[in-house]
Order: sequence, then structure tokens, then C-alpha cells
Amino acid sequence: MSATSLPTAATAAAAKPKDRRRRKRRDLVGLLYVLPAMALVVVFFVVPIGMTAWMSLHNWPLLGVPRFIGLGNYVRMWSDAGFWSSLRFTLLYTAVATVAIFAVAFPLALFVERPRPLGALFRTVFFLPVVVGFATASLLWVWLLNTDSGLFAPAFQALGFTPQRVNILGDFGTAFPAIVAMVVWKVAGFTMILLMTGLQGIPGDVVEAARIDHAGPLQRFRFITLPLMRRTLGLALILCVTGSMLAFDQFYIMVAGGPRNQTVTAVYTIFNQSFVSFRLGYGSALSIALLAILLVLSVGQLWLLRDREDAR
Amino acid sequence: MRATRGRARLTAALSTLVGLVVAAAFLAPIAWTVLSSFRPAAEAAQPPLPPWPTRGFSLDAYRTLDGFSGGLWLHAADSGLVAGSTVVLSVVVSLFAGYGFSRYRFPLRNTCFVLVMTTMMVPFQSILVPLFILLTRMHLQNTLTGLTLVYVTLQLPFSIFMMRNAFDAVPREIEEAARIDGVRDLRLLVRVLLPLVMPGVATVAIFAFLNSWNEFLAALVFLSDESKFTLPVLMTAVRAGRFGSIDWGAVQAGVTVMMVPCLVVFLALQRFYIRGLTAGAVK
Amino acid sequence: MRAFETLLAAATALTALAMPAAAQTLTIWSRSGQGDTLEAVAKAYGESHADKVAVVTLPVDEFVQKYATAIAAGNAPDAVALDLIHTPTFAQAGQLEDLTAWAKGLPYFGALSPAHLSVGTYQGKVYGLPLTTETSVLAWNKDLFRKAGLDADKGPTTWAEWKADAARVTALGGDTHGFYFSGACGGCYIFTFTPLVWASGGQILVDDGAKATLDTPALKDGVDFYRSLVAGGMVPASSRTDTGSDFLSIVDGKIGLQSIGASQIGVLTIKYPDLHFGVTLIPGRDGGTSSFVGGNNIVVTKGAKSVKAVEAFMEYVYSPEGQRLMVRHGSLPARSDIAADVMKGQDPRYDVAVAAIAVGRTPYSPLFNDIINSPNGPWAQMMNAAIFGADPASAIRDGQTRMQDVIDAAK
Repeated sequence: MSATSLPTAATAAAAKPKDRRRRKRRDLVGLLYVLPAMALVVVFFVVPIGMTAWMSLHNWPLLGVPRFIGLGNYVRMWSDAGFWSSLRFTLLYTAVATVAIFAVAFPLALFVERPRPLGALFRTVFFLPVVVGFATASLLWVWLLNTDSGLFAPAFQALGFTPQRVNILGDFGTAFPAIVAMVVWKVAGFTMILLMTGLQGIPGDVVEAARIDHAGPLQRFRFITLPLMRRTLGLALILCVTGSMLAFDQFYIMVAGGPRNQTVTAVYTIFNQSFVSFRLGYGSALSIALLAILLVLSVGQLWLLRDREDAR
Repeated sequence: MRATRGRARLTAALSTLVGLVVAAAFLAPIAWTVLSSFRPAAEAAQPPLPPWPTRGFSLDAYRTLDGFSGGLWLHAADSGLVAGSTVVLSVVVSLFAGYGFSRYRFPLRNTCFVLVMTTMMVPFQSILVPLFILLTRMHLQNTLTGLTLVYVTLQLPFSIFMMRNAFDAVPREIEEAARIDGVRDLRLLVRVLLPLVMPGVATVAIFAFLNSWNEFLAALVFLSDESKFTLPVLMTAVRAGRFGSIDWGAVQAGVTVMMVPCLVVFLALQRFYIRGLTAGAVK
Repeated sequence: MRAFETLLAAATALTALAMPAAAQTLTIWSRSGQGDTLEAVAKAYGESHADKVAVVTLPVDEFVQKYATAIAAGNAPDAVALDLIHTPTFAQAGQLEDLTAWAKGLPYFGALSPAHLSVGTYQGKVYGLPLTTETSVLAWNKDLFRKAGLDADKGPTTWAEWKADAARVTALGGDTHGFYFSGACGGCYIFTFTPLVWASGGQILVDDGAKATLDTPALKDGVDFYRSLVAGGMVPASSRTDTGSDFLSIVDGKIGLQSIGASQIGVLTIKYPDLHFGVTLIPGRDGGTSSFVGGNNIVVTKGAKSVKAVEAFMEYVYSPEGQRLMVRHGSLPARSDIAADVMKGQDPRYDVAVAAIAVGRTPYSPLFNDIINSPNGPWAQMMNAAIFGADPASAIRDGQTRMQDVIDAAK
């Protein structure tokens, strides 16, 4: 369980020359093993990325002749209010969704981590929505949130909360929390399992020692649990942030970016530019920009994580 | 002493109760949909209060759903075929790659690994057009094979990460012992190591199944023959409404049909799944 | 770049080679939500001819994207039943076969729907010809009108009457509402709302789509009219998020008035026999009428191998037999010279829909998908903000600016 996750230099022991040669040949066999995977990644990932970068330097209509315009698309991006507002919304959504997911997943993890009656059942049920697809979950919730045929609006009316049936998805103030609630329902179980694993990795005697030293539950959580879970927290955070930054399905299926374009995410903008406006070059430039942002975010998080690891 | 134990028991009972309430909340949307899908057509547009059929159990919603495009079975078969092939290919490719990354020190190993991992951070929506052009050039556009290959690629970073960690956790002594016994290369991998990394394989397989079964945008863009549409694409037609109105019964039935295999697979294999997942997470 | 194009061309050529030489089955792409008109004619054609026609239906929201990506990838179908308003987009991009010679040789060319031909013609050449025809009309629920004490056989002829009728129906209470429209659907607004503007003398696009004219009194009046209906509680709350999937809410029997398409008259009569409804032309503020003439143009993808087969099929469609069949399956006739004849025996409500062709219009823009139909485009956003938002005047001003920006950016 203590093996490293990040590629580290092989702890190469001093070897005799003959062994080394055999070793080298053997290592080349390793290349054969990873070849199919690398072939797929190169053909369906590296090449398309390269094409995306190349296309981002062109005015490239889907139909018609591409024209090289250098950094024109990137210049235009600078003054594209639509792109910036979608980026702002994506960041807002990422922040809110991440906080909400952790706020639900952490208590759940603490709850299921301890042995208790029905513990396995609880774990299974909390995790169940994770296996439902995002498109499926969006369809399910768009029905539940429908004004007349759904669950919430008629139920609220029947319970007397609202005088009429309210269109929950009609206002940003209600649509956004509703979608975040759907995402939390769908994703919290995943984060819960990750955090639970981290909790289980904390040695019992450390906690016991703190208890003997009269550390309260909050203190124990703050000074023992959290620091010892740093790596798990980091992983859960990266997955959560990356997933949220790339959000698309729920906003496309549930509200089509509405009300009034207030929930258009960055990926949604890219999709619209490429497949609605057919500006493939500009869409590619936006993709490259989003990619850069994501890389910075992820590398930043990884770096913070590794730094602390070394310091410990 | 007795008072303390009594209080502890009360706390335990209370927390179980809270757990049950939260669990019910998590289960409710799924239960609500499944139950509602059995309401007769006349009730389909009514709010699901209560969700179960009040005027008799009915399969109307499924019949309506069957009336879209090529019918329910055809599209379920398409989805199943794509998901099945994605599972098999993802497992094979990531088993080899995980083994290679874990046990060999070939040139550019780290570069290759980081390259694979980067895939995870790229929104594939942004490379959809180049992918489309590439698939066409390879005569794989509008084929379930092409879609499967794309899905396998999308699965690779997670799968390879998983399998590499699974192999890392296997003590090298086992391999050395097998080598001394003359078991080498592929036979070593399949006979000796595969059983040891089975939880990892199960995790990869389940994730591959769930993700390919549920994926919607790539399927929508890459498939143009109606007869090849996977279930989520079929559902866009349902969601878009027919004859100017949404048949919510068909939506519920469709959601149910798409959910049930995922739930069954997960419930049957969750032991492997959670173990594999947590093994990966700890590292 | 050059290499890339060469590869692309090679791919196109290869795809073409892969196709069977004697293409006996002609594939036509069509969008969803169009009823079964095309399927019915294709089936009849296959039964009486050696060639077969296969209709492939694609989801309406993704239709243009799919056709365009397929062209870019070189594997588009030979023929497409294209929403007529998109014909300029594809014609301008040089992706359609020039059908001028064949079209002008048709003895009844002059009788073909002028709306279809106006958008089907680009720089004097004909790229699209009428396949199915559709107009927007105002429908009302006769039962609800009767219950509300209104004349069940008379639809409104001015906005004031329209609003009064809607108010009376709304007053019935319960879940009943006077009016419905899909409030987050650009394609629906252009189909059902612009006739209000046109009937009052306004325009939303001029100069072949080069100039947006949204910030006009005629449009503002129409918006204010819709706002007053919403403010009066005459429109269901679900309207403001409907992206067009509930376009026919009138079928649930709780909507007094709704603008619908002529092709839906058939759907309503067949699928909802209990719904008693009348149709009338969409009125302007103080009278006058207009309509959106829509439907599909048949277009042939540039480089298609089976142009002859498409032409043969279309000649069948235009024959009295074909036209009669189309009409029976919900389309309006494409030929005015035999319209009266093929419409004989049809539901009299279709007469209103046919009359709408004469007063109707079709806006022209090579950017239709981008500026009008896209749920995130300027038109859909402006209409939703103007009708449901707090400040309609600034919403319209914004919409004008943003639409013109998109048009200018595409130049």
C-alpha cells in the first residue's frame, strides 16, 4: 500500500554489465506491452489535439476553405464577453459544486467509515447514484423539476409552500441550486468512498493517543484527521475540480444553458462555437485556452500536494 | 456505567435513523422514476404523487418508448454491444499497459505515462471535430467499432492508472519465483499475475461498462444511422418531444432502462469495485 | 494545411468509391418532429418504382450540425430534406448541387411555393426546391371557448380580442390557461411570434439577412403584447423554460389559444380526437394577418452520385398522386396550380393554412442556425429576456447589438 503513485526513478541497484544488457532488452519488451495503449492515445488523442492546435490558428468554417490567421482567434477571445462570462460561471459552478459535494461527502464518509448496523447498506445506497450516467441523471431530474409533470413544483404547491406551481428551472436563483443538488446527489457517493479510504488509512493508535491527551472531536479532526488525509483530500479535490470545470451534460440537457445563457459553461461555449456557429478555428482556440487553464489548475494542485509530502 | 451504555445505544439508534433518512433521500429519485414508469399512459403527464400506479400497473411507457426510432431492443443491443466491446478492449489494453508501466523501465516510460494521464484533463468535446475527421478517414465513422475505439481511449488513463497500481501492489518475489519455475512473458502475466490483479480488472471493467453505456455526446456526433443509435441518443429524440410534446412516461421508461443495467452490474460486483477503487485512491 | 486538404479530398473520394455503383436505394435525411409525410411518400414511391427511398430521421436540434459535419467529413447523404431556412447557409458555403437546369425545365416550376424558392435560390441559381410545406396559424380550443362563454367558432382577429379571449379562458380557473408559447425556443418564436411583427408591418432581418432590425416599434409592440399575457397569468409557468419540446401544449386540453403549425393539424385530429379546435390566421395588432411559411426544401449534396434518382423521386412528389399523398400525411401542397384539386376532401381547417401561404413570409439569412435557432443565440435570448425579464427595452437593444455582431463577425 505504500508504493508511490507518481513515476519516480527506478531504484536501480548497481548491476553487472551483462545483466544490464539483458535488462535493457527485457525493458524493451515493456514497450511492446504499452504499445496498444500508446497507439490508441496517439491516434485518438495526440493527433486530434495537434489538429486542434493547428486549427486554432485558422479561420476554419466547417464548410468552406480554412484561412490561416495566426493568433487572430486568441486576440478575438480577449474581447469575447460570451467566453469570459461562461468562464466566470464555470469557476463559480466549480467552487459551489466542490464545496457542496465535500460538505455532503465528508459527513457521509465519517458516517460509513465506522462499523455500524446496516453500514454496508448505507455505503451501497449512498454510492448508487454514482453509477447512473450524467445524461441519465439529467433526464431524470429534468423530469422531477418539470413544472407540471414533475415532482417538486406540484409537491410544493400541494404542501402550500407556493401559491402556484413554480418553474424551478425558470430562474437562475432556483435553477442553479437545483442543478447543484442534482450533481451532489450524483457525485457525493464517489467522493465519500475516496474520503472513507483516507479515513481508514489513519492509524487507530494515533487517534487513541489524542483522545487520551483530551483532544476534543473537533481538535482531533482538525489536527489529526485532516493532515493525515492530505493525499486523499488532494485526489478527491482534483477529480472534483476537473470534473466540474468540464461540466456540460447537465446544463445542456436540463436547461440548455438557460435561463438566458446564465448557465453556459466553458465547454458549452466551445460546443456552441464549433457545432452551432461552425467556427471550428475559434472553437479550437477556446479549447486550447481551457486546456491551459485546466493544466495550470491540476499541476498547481499536484505540486502543492507533492511539496507537503516531501516536507513531512 | 449502565447509563453510559444506554446513552451509547440511544446515540447508535439515532444515528442509524438519520442514516436511514439520508439513504431514503438518495434512493428516492431512482425509486420514483422506476415506479412512475409503470403508470398507464393517461397518467404519464401527471405529477408523480404518489409515484406508483394508482390505476393499475401498465407497460404503456415502455411501449411508447419502443415506438421511437428502431425500437427499444435494437438500441439496447447497440448500447450493449458498444459497452461490451469497450469493456473487453479496455481490460486487455490496460492490463498490458499497466503491467508494462509497473514492471519495465523502458525509455520514455515517464513521458508515456504522463501523456496517458493528461488525457484525463482534456475535454474530449474539444477534440470532437478532429476525431470525427480522423474516424472518417479510417472508415470508422458511423460505425460502432469507431465509437468503441474512442470510448476505450477515453477509458485508458483511469484504467492504466488502476492497473499499474494493481501491479505495483503485487510483490516482485512472486514473479521472480515464477520465472525461476520457467514461466515467462505472456504466460506469466495471464497465469500468475492476472488472478492477483483481478480486483483491478473488475474495477476497470465496471468503469468501462458504466462510462460507455452512459456516454451520449460522442455517440450523438459519430453515429448517423438510426439503426446504430445507442440508448442515450434514442433518449434525445424522446427528450426533444414528438408531435410537439414530451412523453414523460417514455422518459421515465428510458431512464429506467438506462439505469437498471448499471445498478445491477454495480450491485453484483460492488465488492471488487469499491475495493479496486479504494486501492487506487490510497496510493 | 495543403496536405490536410489533400487527405480530406482523398477521404471524400474513397468514401464515394465505397458506395455501390448502381445505387438503387436513395437515402434522404430528415429532421425529427416532421410527422410521417416523407416516409409515406418514400414508401409509395418504392412500391411503384425500381428505386427505393430510405428516410433517415435525425434529432431536430442536432440536424444542421450533423449534416454539416457529414459534409466536412465527406460522407453526407445524397439528398436531404433540409429545413428551408437553412438552404442559404449551405448554398452560400458551396455545398449544394445546382439544380437550376432541371428545376426550370419542370412545366410547373412557376407554380412551386415561392417561399421555398426564395430561400432555395442563391445568386440566381436554384439549390433547393419545396418538399414539404408548412405555415403557422393560431389555434383555439373550442370547448374551452364555449365554457368561457365565447363564440366557439370565431378566433381573434386583433391582439385586443386575442387577449380578451385568453383572459376569459384563464378565468375558468384550475390549471386552465388562456395562451401558451415555448418561451425558450428561438425556432418557435420565429415561427409563431414574427408573424405578429410582420402583420403589423415590421421586419426582423433585411438586405438578405445582412442587417438585423430588431429594435423597432413593431417588435416592441409584439413583445409588450406577450408580456401582458404573461403578466396577466394567462400563460403557464412552464412556458419560460420550454425549448420547444412542449410546442403543442394545447393537446392537454387546458390551453385556450396557441400558435401551431399546419402540419400539426393532422397530428391533433388523429392523435387527439377529443380536442375540438379551430384555426385562424395569426393577426396583427389592429388586424392584418401573417404567417411563417416553413417546411423542408429538398437539396442535393455537392458531388452526389445519384442526382438523377433524386430528380426522379421529386418528379413523383410533384405529381398529382404524390401531392395528394403528401397532403393526406400533413403537408400542404407544394404546387399552387393543383392545390385546390389535391386539397379536395381535406379537413376545412387546412384551407386557413393554405391561405396563410399567400400572406406568409420566410426570413432569409445564411446564419439562421446561429442567430435564430440556437437556444443560446441572440434571438432566443432576446425574446426570453424581453418577455420574461424586467427590462424589455434594454433586452431588445442588447439583442439588436448582439445579432448584428454575429452577422458582422461572419463577413
